[in-house]
Amino acid sequence: MIFLSEIAVWSEKYRPNKLSEVINQKHVVERIKAFVKEKNIPHMLFAGPAGTGKTTVALAIAHEFYGKGWRQNVLETNASDARGIDVIRGQVKDFARTKSIGDVAFRIIILDEADNLTTDAQQALRRTMETFSSVSRFILIGNYSNKIIEPIQSRCAVFRFKALSEADIRKYVSRIVEGEKLKISEDAINAVIYLSEGDLRKVANLLQSSAALGERITEKIVYDVASQARPSDVKEILELALNRKFEDARKRLQDMLLRQGLSGEDVIREIHKQIYSLQLTEEAKVQLIEKCGEYEFRISEGGDDLIQLEALLAQFLLFSKSPK
Amino acid sequence: MPFAEKYKPKNLAEFVDQTEALEQFLEWIKNWRPGSKALLFHGSPGTGKTALVHAYANEKNLEFIEMNASDWRSASQIQQVLGQSMKQMPLFKRGKIFLIDECDSLAGREDLGGVGAIIKIVRESKFPVVLTSNNPYVAKLRFLRQYCQLVQFRKIPVWDVEERLRRICKAERIKCDRDVLSQIAKMSGGDLRSAMNDLEAVAGGKNEITIDDLEALGYRERGISIFDAVKMIFKTKTALAAKLAINEVDKDPEEIFWWIENNIAREYEKPEEIARAFDIMSKADIFRQRIALRQDWKFKSYMIDLMTAGIATAKKDTYHKFTRYQYPNNIMLLGRTKTSRRKSEEILDKISKLLHASRKKLRAEYLPFLKIILRNKRNTNEITSSLGVEKEELKSLLE
Repeated sequence: MIFLSEIAVWSEKYRPNKLSEVINQKHVVERIKAFVKEKNIPHMLFAGPAGTGKTTVALAIAHEFYGKGWRQNVLETNASDARGIDVIRGQVKDFARTKSIGDVAFRIIILDEADNLTTDAQQALRRTMETFSSVSRFILIGNYSNKIIEPIQSRCAVFRFKALSEADIRKYVSRIVEGEKLKISEDAINAVIYLSEGDLRKVANLLQSSAALGERITEKIVYDVASQARPSDVKEILELALNRKFEDARKRLQDMLLRQGLSGEDVIREIHKQIYSLQLTEEAKVQLIEKCGEYEFRISEGGDDLIQLEALLAQFLLFSKSPK
Repeated sequence: MPFAEKYKPKNLAEFVDQTEALEQFLEWIKNWRPGSKALLFHGSPGTGKTALVHAYANEKNLEFIEMNASDWRSASQIQQVLGQSMKQMPLFKRGKIFLIDECDSLAGREDLGGVGAIIKIVRESKFPVVLTSNNPYVAKLRFLRQYCQLVQFRKIPVWDVEERLRRICKAERIKCDRDVLSQIAKMSGGDLRSAMNDLEAVAGGKNEITIDDLEALGYRERGISIFDAVKMIFKTKTALAAKLAINEVDKDPEEIFWWIENNIAREYEKPEEIARAFDIMSKADIFRQRIALRQDWKFKSYMIDLMTAGIATAKKDTYHKFTRYQYPNNIMLLGRTKTSRRKSEEILDKISKLLHASRKKLRAEYLPFLKIILRNKRNTNEITSSLGVEKEELKSLLE
């Protein structure tokens, strides 16, 4: 098997560079293969959950077209780091208007996390897509296609990436296990699959971290890794709120998001998990889980991580006991 | 005649507010002799500084000479206007009293001799001199202060303003709701004159006022501090008053948003109030983000109404306590960590290319694992060299 990268981070090392090696997503891959065969692709929009192969497919396309020198003809930008209109008008437009090097007629622009682009930027992007469609193709990638404006969606072939099945993930695990000659128990593999939540990036990270901690990877090591890599303070923060030390809880939360840079969705999911282990009535747990869903939804609607999490944290006060 | 003029107190009996200031004034005037100190009235606009002197002069049949310091251009001009007058008895009255308004506006100008000229008047006048200033502590007035006794005028309590307005309505035969008057009173921020002007503007010749008429009111620039605005929002129980509180603040809604958010739990104490207030901020935030992401300004008013009126009404009862409102600490945190964040962004940008992930994604999904992976020393070299970063750089990122 040939791999794209010499990079010692496994999620990258085991990222396939051929469409045929992409885990599942057959409905997407088959159609794209047909495009590649014709040496032409439309503008495309890839939507779907994290770690299901969106970026991988985009990079594989680049590889299929340009081979080793792909970076010359491909611009990769990230809308979450630079989501304003300037990037679209500057960097992206400059790249899009220039002719490709080699025998493929167009260059490819991969816009990752495109759902973070402002509407203005998306409008500018739409014009760029149209104006330079003879010399460039866009691949937009995002978790939520509904945050991409309709005029862009209508100019793209939209591909929905599916959540991966357990068998899919198992296949990816064994690729890495074989490639790295890992000694790993069956229980540990199951733990990795369970903890990954269908995200292949997480599978690779879990395996590499586990391998760093022990010659033989056991179920215990996997769970240890997961709990260490997880936002560890979450439970303490929740308990502070439940003891009506809200300001302390808030400070810790802010530190977690702003200093450590964790994402709001990760923290909410962690809160979700921790709710079961809190000293609360069963009814209260379910009510709080509903709140988790509500605020995670608001984050997905564009809400600020910090505000939404503080609001969620404040809901825990409703189930707090007054100090004696 | 404007209400503010028409309903000015005509004698001291009608002058009901500022009892402390009134006492000081009466004590001072009783003992006044040529060469005594002047009185320097200070306090917000519309709190009765001029009205007090006017009422007194009227009652005692004194000639009331009022001047505005901001009209003067030079020391010689002051001398010209006042020089003679301050020494001569009036022809038809029992005496005189001088009022020099807005001394602070004089002090800031090129006419530096002005302060000296006022001091001269104070020292040589045969009649009592009262000075007014919104802020008596500006540096330019420091010499003048030595010739003055300071008297503070407090903001007029909202219910007193309301009572005054009610009396005016009665006299003018204007029918209007309680709500309307209390609203105007609240919006006045203790400035009686502006409240009377507002009432007049709203009444506009009609004999009935409803709450809807208040929509027409423009808002006065008082340049109140963010602290006052935040306080207003937390203390008031009226939606409109809370909404209007931020109009006068010289900060953009974005920053005010964080001010309010950060002080909720300092002001409110009941769990259900805090929970409700934060939930409202969370909704305001959705609008805030829509404005930012889609440049959709029509959502701005919802964001503002929620973060002001929504927060004000999240409480059950007003807390009658002093709260030290604080600077939003996430802004502080972002400020403090700016340099180190920039440094780590540079490092993340390098890695970002190779791992095909944004900085945000790297932070959330890679760094926690890299921390564990690098605990095994065997991995360190291979990873740092393949990512093209120095060991130290990577370490600083993981701390």
